Amino acid sequence: MASTQHVLLSPAELAYLHASLSLTPPIRPDGRSPTQFRPLVAETGILPGTNGSARICFADGTEAIVGVKAEVERTRTRHDFPSLDESAEDDDDLDDNQNEVIKGDNDWVEMTVEIPGYRDDDAGTVFLSAMLSEALLADGEFTKRLWINQRFHWKLYLDILLISPPLSYPLPLLSLTTHLALLAARLPRLKSEGDEDPLFDDDWAAAPYLYPRPSEKGSKATAPAPAAARPPVTLLVMAVGNNIIFDPSKEELAVADVALAVSVGESSSSTTSTTSSKPTAMDIDTEETKGHNLRLLSVRTIDPPSRLTPPGIPNASNSAYGANAGAKDAEKKKQQQEQARTAESEAVEGVWKAPRGGAKTLVMATMVQKVLEKGGVADEVLDALDGVDLN
Amino acid sequence: MPITILPPKAFRDQPPRHSLNHDSDDVMSDATSDSEDSDSQPGGVSLDGGATIHPRKRHRSGAGAAASSTFTKRPKTNAAINSIPRSAIVTPGERITTDPQWMRGHGTYLSSASLGEQAITSSLAGIVTRTNKLLSVRPLRARYTPEVGDLVVGRIVEVQAKRWRVDVGSTQLAALPLSAINLPGGILRKRTETDELQIRTFFAEGDLVVAEVQQLFQDGGAVLHTRSLKYGKLRNGVFMAVSGTGGGGGVVRSRRQVWTLESANNGGPIDVILGVNGYVWISKHVEPVVPEEAKGQTGITNLEEVVSATMYSSQNDRIEPETMREIARIRGVVTALVENGLRVDEDMVTKGYNEAVELALVSADGPEDVYLGGERGEQLAAALTAV
Repeated sequence: MASTQHVLLSPAELAYLHASLSLTPPIRPDGRSPTQFRPLVAETGILPGTNGSARICFADGTEAIVGVKAEVERTRTRHDFPSLDESAEDDDDLDDNQNEVIKGDNDWVEMTVEIPGYRDDDAGTVFLSAMLSEALLADGEFTKRLWINQRFHWKLYLDILLISPPLSYPLPLLSLTTHLALLAARLPRLKSEGDEDPLFDDDWAAAPYLYPRPSEKGSKATAPAPAAARPPVTLLVMAVGNNIIFDPSKEELAVADVALAVSVGESSSSTTSTTSSKPTAMDIDTEETKGHNLRLLSVRTIDPPSRLTPPGIPNASNSAYGANAGAKDAEKKKQQQEQARTAESEAVEGVWKAPRGGAKTLVMATMVQKVLEKGGVADEVLDALDGVDLN
Repeated sequence: MPITILPPKAFRDQPPRHSLNHDSDDVMSDATSDSEDSDSQPGGVSLDGGATIHPRKRHRSGAGAAASSTFTKRPKTNAAINSIPRSAIVTPGERITTDPQWMRGHGTYLSSASLGEQAITSSLAGIVTRTNKLLSVRPLRARYTPEVGDLVVGRIVEVQAKRWRVDVGSTQLAALPLSAINLPGGILRKRTETDELQIRTFFAEGDLVVAEVQQLFQDGGAVLHTRSLKYGKLRNGVFMAVSGTGGGGGVVRSRRQVWTLESANNGGPIDVILGVNGYVWISKHVEPVVPEEAKGQTGITNLEEVVSATMYSSQNDRIEPETMREIARIRGVVTALVENGLRVDEDMVTKGYNEAVELALVSADGPEDVYLGGERGEQLAAALTAV
């Protein structure tokens, strides 16, 4: 099952696109540079009934809105194994209340993706939501933010809606919109203490952000999990030959050799090193940059639709080609077709041939590196997202 | 900068090409409190639900306030001299007027408002336009309605026994019968079963064709033909779909839909095909190659043979990077024109292209920079409308 929708393009178009994207530097059909994103319009706080919401709109008309809603839910106590928190409390009796074990459960986040024209159990839709939630829950830090006390937690509903028909593979759009919605999300301030039934402050202005702003460092000290400073972003990267192209349009994706969804998170930046001074012993790349401390959360290969495209027919084996083509020389044609079958594996210039075989490891590694490198694309995307007014 | 994130634009009441015409009298009528222009006589149309929010006012109060003010009735004094707004957006089912002096035009229907009273109601989402006493609604966007003789670009989506079904951006798929194509080599004969069996060697699913509308069915479906050397399968270029005739900006019917543009920066000649249906094809211009044995023999039939020999090829010729770059630039120009609500025709594309080449010269990345999205597109459109 292809994870991207099939696009109907003629072999001549595919051959042209592939040729222009294989040049150095590649010429993209819309003239963008390889790392350039489509210009987009973003705003937050568009849905008054949600805890946080965002809308992003591309110039071509693709538009997505995301709403984040939270409700208080009683935490199920587990009986199947000795309660972790009890033993922890026994051990750490000397410590402060702050050090009590904070756990999160992936069930505390529910994500639904809606793409117009697709069923919600369509493989593509399910794959999209799996990728987005995977990035969010990958490091296990996010759900800790939803912890209220031993008995209660926040249940977060993330509703991701694509409003327009999917003109291009919507993953980067949905991911950026989700990112903004989570950044804008606020939860009411807790007034109660300890394990009593939670009581919240009515004053919405006092509600802390789910992801505390760097300026509000005071509230951050009491926040349960100071590790990830912001939600992850998932970027769509594709490669044609050795060229690495970001934010591909539908046509570009149709000729991709490899397509990757790279999820990048940010652990607290170097300026806030007081809270995370201890080195994290993780088996994933940690790169120290000036602005953002990027961390690779997940990488997924996306099945590019290029593999399903029909091959072009070279002139040499095209029975409708040539001045003497006609129904008369049927025998000659049959011969030609047989020749074509044997010569199918050879590439002819100007004729489209679907990519075969696996992706080159080196190309994949470069793609991931291009996302993560200092001053790279993810860095600049996060910088640009910082500029969006959160209200 | 790989990414540009812009704040949302303020609500724009109308496509810019209309605002160009009306900006001046909007200001004037603002001052003279709605006594708009010559054909709004006292006792004119009183509007129900007040679809008369003034564009200027709407702009000031912002999008949210404008929505709510739609439901506020105007003061009675104004209602008397009220008139149909020059450019208010109406939605399907919205009542435009109950005044009997107006005639109903396209995009409207009559519905009984109250006892014996007939109201002109919009059947589309669009802009109210009036020609003397005729009220019509121009749709904001519409599908292409084929007309005989239109040059269209279409994509084969279905292959049937004796015909192809072609997507031309209309409400229905157009049909291209096997009998309406030229056979390779210019052979003139009846189509046989053999042709039917190898129908996919001519056009297969996904192929792009340029064709002409030959005939219309009663229900508005089109029958195409490619019986000319100008028509046939498309290669050596890029495709893009913009809105066709009927909607706001987009391709408009004009004198020439197909022309060859001499591009800058050693790009060589480039063919541009603006299908009336809004499908655009931009490709390298290729002169037909005359084979050796055919040289010396002249005559129309011979030429026809030569040209139609390459008609069903799906192999691209060699295209230089310079040409590809200029093709991308022209595509950017067309996108910029559409995004800024300007019409797309030979004149505008040529002017826009020249402007884009000039813009690229002053760009930081030099003349090789073909990006025309976002702000640059707006810059381009501003330069074009200023002339």
